Amino acid sequence: MNPDDLKYHKEHTWVKASGRKATIGITDYAQDALGDIVYIDLPEVDTDVEANSEIGEIESTKATSSIISPVNGRVIEVNEDLSESPEIINEDPYSKGWIAIIELDDASEPDDLMDSSEYLKYVEEEAK
Amino acid sequence: MRLSILGAGPGGYVAAIKAAQLGAQITVVEGSEVGGTCLNWGCIPTKALVASAEIISRTRKLEDYGIELKGEIVPNFSKIIARKNKIVNTQIKGIRNLFKGWGITLKEGRGLLTSPQEIMITLRDGSKEKNAADKIIIATGSRPLQIPELPFDGNRILSSDDALMLKEIPKSLLIVGAGVIGCEFACIFRALGSEVTIVEMLPRAVATEDFEISELLERELKKKKIKLLTNIKAEKVDLKDDGVHIFLADSKEIVAEKVIVSVGRLFNSDGIGIEEVGIQKGVRGEIAVNDKMETNIPGIYAVGDVIGGLMLAHVASTEGIAAVKNVMGGDERIDYTSVPSAIFTSPEIASVGLREHQASEKGIKVRTGHLEFRALAKAHTIGEIEGLIKIVADEQSDKILGVHIIGPHASDLIHEAALAVRKGLKTKDIAETIHAHPTLSEVLMEAAADVHNEAIHVPKR
Repeated sequence: MNPDDLKYHKEHTWVKASGRKATIGITDYAQDALGDIVYIDLPEVDTDVEANSEIGEIESTKATSSIISPVNGRVIEVNEDLSESPEIINEDPYSKGWIAIIELDDASEPDDLMDSSEYLKYVEEEAK
Repeated sequence: MRLSILGAGPGGYVAAIKAAQLGAQITVVEGSEVGGTCLNWGCIPTKALVASAEIISRTRKLEDYGIELKGEIVPNFSKIIARKNKIVNTQIKGIRNLFKGWGITLKEGRGLLTSPQEIMITLRDGSKEKNAADKIIIATGSRPLQIPELPFDGNRILSSDDALMLKEIPKSLLIVGAGVIGCEFACIFRALGSEVTIVEMLPRAVATEDFEISELLERELKKKKIKLLTNIKAEKVDLKDDGVHIFLADSKEIVAEKVIVSVGRLFNSDGIGIEEVGIQKGVRGEIAVNDKMETNIPGIYAVGDVIGGLMLAHVASTEGIAAVKNVMGGDERIDYTSVPSAIFTSPEIASVGLREHQASEKGIKVRTGHLEFRALAKAHTIGEIEGLIKIVADEQSDKILGVHIIGPHASDLIHEAALAVRKGLKTKDIAETIHAHPTLSEVLMEAAADVHNEAIHVPKR
């Protein structure tokens, strides 16, 4: 159920790269673990982001968690729909629930991330 | 013992009643109104507004509670202000009645020290009279600090006092200073419908609090669509027909209908004869006192905001009582390590004791415990899950050094923590004390347990 055309980061974010533009979001596993999402603190457009560092926060009814960027680059667009309706992430984490579009410093960077089967294995390991 | 007190705020009026209880003969001189800043321009009127603002915010969430609203919720500002005034006046009458009951003489006018045993009072009608005293307590308080870049005009550039006299809810409001007062006003006027921007010179909002508290408040402000600009100074103002234009240090321009400047407070240590009598002041203009509230002039004491310590009403009252006991021959000193403080933002903030960064500045090794309010069922039942508690404990002794809360009813929850800090209790003392379920007080028990990774409602790490 994790789409095969995406790449996955160990902090449970996904990347869909198209040239130097990468759309990112959180994975289905992450949204399920968080439970009902009530607020998202989106990154700001034009800010530089670093891989493995926090770019925003998600609040669910259970917990507050950091959104960790899977890549290096600059935020060029954020999903404003999430400000009013953060529950979209629960409903559709891989499509309508995208969080931001990042212009990659290096277009080949996502290649180093996990593919869907590696991520599945990783999640199973983590759950143990 | 004839005791005269300058100022009838929470320092002066409490001192007066305590002294009367101990048998002194009291004269209180007040130039404005009994209750001081707290009752007339601070704590109480703002909390009356907070209550109205909270009702509005809650009504906006009626559907979440399964309640349908047929109609519209409209704040009527003049009625909100009238309610505030009624509450303030009731309290004023209360203090005046207490004075009458204890036989305290209230002189309404301005007092000037002419010697360590004499005050010249200029009454409201301009007449003057001398008041002879054996001892004197100065409790003249503080007033809003004005900065040359943004002089108050009482109409569009407002002090916190002026803000309480607004006739209408401003469509747009710029607040200079994201301290306690600025953030409280921001939450009040945002709830009432103003577009609010806050500009702060320091790197964070409520900069005297623990970093994690500031961070969470900043996120809550953002959720309310209150715009917060930090690390920047308001440098210039231009009053135009379309609004007040404020220019920031990065030459950015903000236009707002009204501006509230809340960047600090100034000591009321001028014009009361301090220099004439030879009372020493500190570098900031505050009256210098020792830990018994004594100034350098024997028989003259000072308490409250004017001595420049923790500028809180309850501290002023505590100091007033201590000063009176010392006036009557006691040896009273105050322990400031366990003073609770509260900020009535939405959500509320309350803290006591050391912030984590203060502990590390002192070289103390600490362990911390956290709990998010959303981990508690009670927070969900009342529909207020936003918030966090943080306990700072000494790594070696396990003693609780500080507790910091942002969340619903934080100002009521802090006192268990104040007692713990004051009495040097350990985290296990709180963790092992049974707390009733379901209550918000469970945050303390769970956060105390979390210091040793033993909380029940925290996910496995």
